[in-house]
Amino acid sequence: MSLSPPDGQVDGGDGGGDGYRRLNRKCMLSMYIDHAISYAIYLAVYLLARTYAQGFLGQYYDLVLHAFAAVLVVVLVYMAAVPPVYYARYRYRITRDRVDVRYGVIVIRHILVPIERVHQVEVSRGPINSMLGLADVTVTTAGGEATINYLEIDEAEKVAELLNGLIGRMLLERRKTAPAAPPGLAND
Amino acid sequence: MSGEKIRYHQSVIVEKSLSSLSAMVLLALVLATQLDRTAVAAILVAALAALLLFNYRQWRLTTVQFNETDVVVERDTLFKMKKTLPYSKIASVNVNRGILNRLFGTSKLQININSGSSATVPEAVLTFRQDTAERIRSVVSQRIYDREASPGEDEIAGSLVSFSPADVIIHGLFSVPTHQTVVASVFLAYSLFEQYLSVGPGLGTDGKALVSLMMFVLIQIGPSVSLIFHYYNYRIYRRGDTVYLQHGLVRTYRTSFNVSRINAVRIKSTFAARLMHRSCIEAEVVGLASGSGENLRPVLCLLKDDATVQKLLREVVPEFVYERSPEKQPESAKSVLLIRAATASLALAVAMTYPSLYVYRGAAALPGAAGAVLPYVLPLVTALAVFAIFYAAHVSYRITEFDAGKDLFTFVNGAVDRETVVMNYDKVQMVRITQGPVARIFGVSQGRVYLLSSTGGTSVSSGYFSGSLLGAVGETVMERIASGEYDYRKNCV
Repeated sequence: MSLSPPDGQVDGGDGGGDGYRRLNRKCMLSMYIDHAISYAIYLAVYLLARTYAQGFLGQYYDLVLHAFAAVLVVVLVYMAAVPPVYYARYRYRITRDRVDVRYGVIVIRHILVPIERVHQVEVSRGPINSMLGLADVTVTTAGGEATINYLEIDEAEKVAELLNGLIGRMLLERRKTAPAAPPGLAND
Repeated sequence: MSGEKIRYHQSVIVEKSLSSLSAMVLLALVLATQLDRTAVAAILVAALAALLLFNYRQWRLTTVQFNETDVVVERDTLFKMKKTLPYSKIASVNVNRGILNRLFGTSKLQININSGSSATVPEAVLTFRQDTAERIRSVVSQRIYDREASPGEDEIAGSLVSFSPADVIIHGLFSVPTHQTVVASVFLAYSLFEQYLSVGPGLGTDGKALVSLMMFVLIQIGPSVSLIFHYYNYRIYRRGDTVYLQHGLVRTYRTSFNVSRINAVRIKSTFAARLMHRSCIEAEVVGLASGSGENLRPVLCLLKDDATVQKLLREVVPEFVYERSPEKQPESAKSVLLIRAATASLALAVAMTYPSLYVYRGAAALPGAAGAVLPYVLPLVTALAVFAIFYAAHVSYRITEFDAGKDLFTFVNGAVDRETVVMNYDKVQMVRITQGPVARIFGVSQGRVYLLSSTGGTSVSSGYFSGSLLGAVGETVMERIASGEYDYRKNCV
């Protein structure tokens, strides 16, 4: 990932001419494993209900189990279809002034976080992502947070370093150029 | 204020011990089932003595130091604590007096900093004699607002608008959200229904009527009475850049904050309030926590007639007043709202099928008018609810607005309880634009703006507009940062 691009853009990008970057294809594998674990839990609950819930559900036993099975089929289809669509739609862009993320499967979201508002940058990874060499970067502002999911670990570290660098430079420039804060107003 | 270490007023020992008393009584009740009365009494006395001793030690080893640049609260007990609060980071210093404070002639000073993570709890609660607390508040206010709040100035200053006890009662009764009133009414109706059934021969209510009635009191009457007590003797005024609020019947509140701390202003009117042509104003201000779990959003105006509300808005927060030219939702938004209403109606109809059958079976055997009417009550209510959902969709389409001004922008929302939220671009932390599957077909999106709020973080949603129109909010935020219009010193958190 190039970190010194022209005209204020931080990423070179391989997601099209607009500077947006795409995720690594391994993100689909991570999602599939994640989904498989979740599905195994749902399946276990279904099997437990099927074995032990007859007395509790009484006359509704068949109805509830059929509804549960139907939900399991829908969930299976959804879980199988989501990763490729998520991968295909996911775009992110980090420039000198903003973090921009576009993602979504059924509902499409576009999140814009001004770098100026970023308070904290966090790189995190669970066991599955660690195994696949992926990590999430969470950008926290005073009003909420945005996450860039499934980045390669190196890239996640670079993104976090880049964001920290941008914030640090911004604060340094302020210290150099700004006059004393007006009375009664908070200093940074 | 010379940097010397001072202790809280001794009454905190009693106050803290009393707050733990309920837990001790509960413990005593549990023990009473296992031990005889003498043993329980002995344990209770020993526990109380230990508690008093513990709180005495806590009091003796806790000191406060008001230095030139900061306030330092230090506790030298087993679990040591040293908290430094720089004046430059303090958002507000407020006085709060409960019943015990009145008995002991003390006041609680609550110091809040500009933090989203601890927005609901004050950073420090310091109990001093009333005159000492006033003096400290005055000096700290001078440090944080650059003007001294002279002791007793709240008594001298008049409110910008007078609020009579009738206004307070109206606010208490009609500022409760309509959905809460509807839920409470359902409980009341169910209670009456159970009472009616119980008058029949051989039928009992099994306490259902009483439980429902209690739920009604808990959901509707309780909050109303609490609001009346909270806002009794309400006064508001502004001096320089500081807004002052004073209210309370049993517990009194004196709150002040700098106007630059306001992130957004909400003009709200519930359905009932709108029928009376009344609305109220609330502000999103970070750093006003009292730690008592009350609504932290300061009310700048109780429910008053719309003209008075506009007048007060111009006088108290002219920074949030501008010439608006609102955009209505596009025609395509109507289709999205109607599809949403149809989906909600379908879900409601499915959910009400079983209860309708249950009531039908239960009430069909009743003699007289009850047997003729009650079986059809739930289907009728469902039909009315479906009608209400479609009507709300229609109203929502009609009233939802978005307005992008130069420094401020506004979202108007709410088919039932209406809310106009005026926000400053410089206070926006994050923007999210969402497009669901139906909205995508019709080419509209919903925007969500994230701000720092009284409770940490909050978000305000827009109606359905074109993505480019909503995207302009984020772009304006970025432009203001890039062009230098945004002054971080006024807006940093």
